[in-house]
Amino acid sequence: MYALAGAYRTDRTALLDGTPVRLLTMLGLAVVAGWAFAAAGIASIVIARAIGAGAAQGALLACAVAWTVPRPERAADVLPIGIALSALAGAVAAALTPGGAVAYLLAPLWLWRRRSALGAVGLAGAPSARLLLGGIGFGALLGGHLMLTASLTLGYRIAPPAALELGPWLAYDFGANVLAAECFFRGALFDRAQRRWSFAAAAALSTAACVGRYLVDPLLPRTLEVAAGAAFYVTLLSIGNCWLYWRSGSLMPGLAAGYVFFAVYRLLHVVP
Amino acid sequence: MLVALLLLGVTAGVVVLDPRPATLGRHLYLVPVVVAAVRFGGPAGVAAALAAVLLFGPIVLREVERARVTPAVLDALVTFAVLLLAGALTGALAARARRQRRRYEALLAAQRAAAEPAPLAMVLVRLCAVLERRLDADALGLVLVDGDVPVLSGGPKLARDSLAARVIAGGEPLFVADIGGQSRARRALVVPLTAGGRTVGALALERYGDIAREEREAVCGLGAALGLALDNARLAARQRRFAEELERKVSEATARLAEMDRLKSDLVALASHELRTPLTAIQGFSELLATRPFATTEVRRVAEIVRAEAERLGRIVADFLDLARLERGLPLALRCARLDPAPVIADAVELFRRTRTTHRLELELDGALPPIEADADALDRVLKNLISNALKYSPAGSCVRIRARRESGAMAVEVEDEGPGVAPDDLVRIFEPYYRSPSTARLDRGTGLGLAVVKSLVEAHGGTIRAERAAGRGTRMTFVIPAVS
Repeated sequence: MYALAGAYRTDRTALLDGTPVRLLTMLGLAVVAGWAFAAAGIASIVIARAIGAGAAQGALLACAVAWTVPRPERAADVLPIGIALSALAGAVAAALTPGGAVAYLLAPLWLWRRRSALGAVGLAGAPSARLLLGGIGFGALLGGHLMLTASLTLGYRIAPPAALELGPWLAYDFGANVLAAECFFRGALFDRAQRRWSFAAAAALSTAACVGRYLVDPLLPRTLEVAAGAAFYVTLLSIGNCWLYWRSGSLMPGLAAGYVFFAVYRLLHVVP
Repeated sequence: MLVALLLLGVTAGVVVLDPRPATLGRHLYLVPVVVAAVRFGGPAGVAAALAAVLLFGPIVLREVERARVTPAVLDALVTFAVLLLAGALTGALAARARRQRRRYEALLAAQRAAAEPAPLAMVLVRLCAVLERRLDADALGLVLVDGDVPVLSGGPKLARDSLAARVIAGGEPLFVADIGGQSRARRALVVPLTAGGRTVGALALERYGDIAREEREAVCGLGAALGLALDNARLAARQRRFAEELERKVSEATARLAEMDRLKSDLVALASHELRTPLTAIQGFSELLATRPFATTEVRRVAEIVRAEAERLGRIVADFLDLARLERGLPLALRCARLDPAPVIADAVELFRRTRTTHRLELELDGALPPIEADADALDRVLKNLISNALKYSPAGSCVRIRARRESGAMAVEVEDEGPGVAPDDLVRIFEPYYRSPSTARLDRGTGLGLAVVKSLVEAHGGTIRAERAAGRGTRMTFVIPAVS
């Protein structure tokens, strides 16, 4: 038992300790350069947007990875660059060609191969099947409700999706959107916060940051109803995923909930 | 499950009977919300309220879509707020009541466990089991400082720089939000166990989950109550130990007294016999001398017998007197002076050579003996007693060796016989007053005082005496008296 036999340590890292500032700056510069090239007509606006989106997802993933690896190790400098480049490459490839969306799978593949080194981010170890099923059920419930509500209020129809349209979005959610959000907001931010504050405080911080991220997402339609709906559902999804992470110590249930929820959301998105 | 069924039931009722935002049926959502809050606490109450909002929300949203914000929609929104508030407040109150009940239950269970008449370590183990369950802990440890030694339960050892050691030293509770090294945050709380204003131990609790401030304060209170109960348990255990020890000592003393009583009874019988034998001889021979005419040589022989018996009588009486002084804690009356021990030893040996011709007596003086500070008469008594014993318990014709030598600032004298030897168990006991070895008691009668007096005399000179079995057969008695520098 730690309290009897372990040495009492008073050292504690700061909440944002280990943030790869130089890498984030580089990603920021890449975004600016992309927009500058687009403005100058050298590159297309699609590429500039892809760089922006890829850099944002990459920044979240890089932060999550950098916070996870102990600082004195060389991997703490190298691994964030690797995941950021994977996310960026996925976004750019998807923008260049419809089949390029497959490149979104680079980031999850990269993380999966290095999951043992990134255990602290909640990727190592298998969660209990009950919590995994709970995550899937929670995502389905929330997604189903979203579908019902949206169809009642915003004039959306529920119709069978076209696979070619849906595929890239699912790849985006799988390899970038949900993955980056869960890795950073749950695996990194909530994980650090819950180790110093209560669950409620940590979940509030993580949820506020997560809702903020979705509200500034350029892909979100700019209407009050949609923004309010997004805030509402992302809040519920975030709190639920925080609880799942809190109970399991694993990202898997939260990832499952996120994938299912966004998969349902994409049905609405593509079938107006 | 019950809450989910209630929520679905209310929703089904509303949808079927009156699917409007202002329907009275919406108030029925309070039932599952309150049930969830009362049964599972605040978060469950809020979750049930959110579920109600999610279920009833589409009806309201449809009205918003149709006619924007109407009074009915506002009513429904107020209902949502009331549901959330009711869930949170009812849950918080129910959780608080439950916490208090659990606190009292934990306290009662802990006090019951602490009051059990068992060793302290066992009490701590039972307490740990009770509290771990009652406090919802993933690990629980108790440390009680009994003297300098901490009695532990919940871990193999108490590290010097651990949380618990710090709390015991500082007397203040410590809380660690995460002990680290685990995939889930694990909290640790250690509170002091106090009794009479001092820290008597620590209660350590670890949990995968929050330990709210209110609960931490409650555990602190529990620590104070537990400290008192454990301190009482410790005192009771100490008292039990003391009572057991006392009982054992009394029992030993009683047995010893009974043994002493038996020995004294034996002694009275023995002493009367021992005193009567020389007395009878003296009486008989003196009567003969008084009533019958004897030749001069015969008179001398009878007078010599009377003198020897009187001397024996005197020796017995002297032994008794010396022992009586020792038993009263008085020192032996000695007239110590610096003397050369060699002539005293030689005289004693010579006396026995002349009177006891049945044995061979060999004297070995190993070089010049150092001078000692001693009472010559006492030294003579010691020597005569040891030689007399050696002669008494060894067969006729055997040899008794007396060796004297210088031994690192002291004089050592050995008296070794070729008798059957003293049994190993008796080697220490033969110096006890009245004790007579069963093996030697058969061979000759005696008071059992001789060696006790010899030991006292040697010790009165600052020396030591020991008995050992001689190499081969027989007994070797060795006494050592410090030399004068």
